[in-house]
Amino acid sequence: MRLSKVSFRYRRRDPLVIEDADTHLAPGDVIELTGANGAGKSTLLRLLVGLAEPTTGTITDRPRVVGFAPDRFPTGQPFTVTAYLRHASRVRGGARWEPWAERLTMGHLLGTPLGDLSKGSAHKVGLVQALMAEPGLLIMDEPFAGLDADTREALPAIATEVAGRGGIVVVSDHQGGLRGLPGLRHWSMVDGHLKEGTAAPVVSSPETDTTGAETTVAVTLPAGDLPRFLARMREEGYRAREIEETG
Amino acid sequence: MIALAVFRVAAYVRSHRVFQALLLTLAMLAIVHGSRAPRGEEAAVLTDGAVLLVPILAWAARSLLDTEPDRQREMSAVQVGGRGREVAAGLLAAFASCAVFAGLGLVWALLLGITGSPSPDVLGAGVALHVVSALTGTALGALTSRAVLPSPAVSIMVLLLGYLVMLLLSASSLYWLTVPLISWMKAANAGELAARLPQLAAISLAWCLAGLAAYALLRRRRT
Repeated sequence: MRLSKVSFRYRRRDPLVIEDADTHLAPGDVIELTGANGAGKSTLLRLLVGLAEPTTGTITDRPRVVGFAPDRFPTGQPFTVTAYLRHASRVRGGARWEPWAERLTMGHLLGTPLGDLSKGSAHKVGLVQALMAEPGLLIMDEPFAGLDADTREALPAIATEVAGRGGIVVVSDHQGGLRGLPGLRHWSMVDGHLKEGTAAPVVSSPETDTTGAETTVAVTLPAGDLPRFLARMREEGYRAREIEETG
Repeated sequence: MIALAVFRVAAYVRSHRVFQALLLTLAMLAIVHGSRAPRGEEAAVLTDGAVLLVPILAWAARSLLDTEPDRQREMSAVQVGGRGREVAAGLLAAFASCAVFAGLGLVWALLLGITGSPSPDVLGAGVALHVVSALTGTALGALTSRAVLPSPAVSIMVLLLGYLVMLLLSASSLYWLTVPLISWMKAANAGELAARLPQLAAISLAWCLAGLAAYALLRRRRT
């Protein structure tokens, strides 16, 4: 799948939300997408899924079967979990949803009306409908939000599994749930620009660091990269600031 | 696509929104066919019923399409393999619902609205007009659904005004500029329904298809 010079704006004369995104996604890729709120992450995901067409540029070779798990599952529907997933399965040509429901520990939720589900449980329904058809492109928008610990731990393995059979997985994530996954690609959206870097190393988040000790590090980098670097560090919970400009 | 259409009809029924249009249809039919029309009025009765059903069918189509949350509509488009198929499935579901209500109106008119039996020509014309009525309702309902007109107040006003414009325009010499509802009634009252049906049906179908195409185009533009 290839994005060639993709730019997007919602309406004519609006500013570009995505600007000149140019990248290639190969079968087996797992990509973590980060970025500040409003940076264009969700718009990029909609473009990847095919829900929006680029204003300029092209997206080619999108896999035929796409799975999309939105950040908020729409619970305002008159179905139980089972009835909903059965309908989704028929729309997917009879895909098997039961193994995924079992894997995401949803057995006790199957008879529950969608409207009565908690945020995390509703999120699982969204994940199951995205996973059931063995997608060639799996897009998950903030999949770790609100999930219980067991499901959070299961998701990286599921992403690896989808990638293992040749699928492409793109995950928008603020919580670093996929960190440590071998070969993880890292994308960040900064003011509508798609930047690619190596995956961030596994870090303990500042909230969970119980030692209480702090240290200050100095990083030297090109001046043009500073806003992106600071945004990324702040996004991960660190207090980052510019100290001096040289040369 | 069929499975998605079934999903949307199921949501429409299970949400109980279906009763809004059903009750309106039953009330309208009970009033219009409160007393049987005399023998010879069969064509007029069937045609009047088809014309009066249009706004209720449009309401039903709009209501069906609006049952699905916006986010689910996006997920459905991904599941079914694209926006085009999702739009087609929605229209199919809306038309199926409209066809059921139109069928109910036709059966009611035949059983309780007329005195004698209609001639085969008149019966055929009545069936055709109810099908076109269902198609007109589908197009008008789709064009006023939330995916096109997000404001409920604007949407319902456009639906009613659209129907009124159809009536006014079709009562004039410019009847060919819309679905010619009043022309159907005039032809039925003059005993020329069967003879004029091909022309009136062609104009009606052309405008219905234009409306459906406009809906598909608007949905494509709204991302």
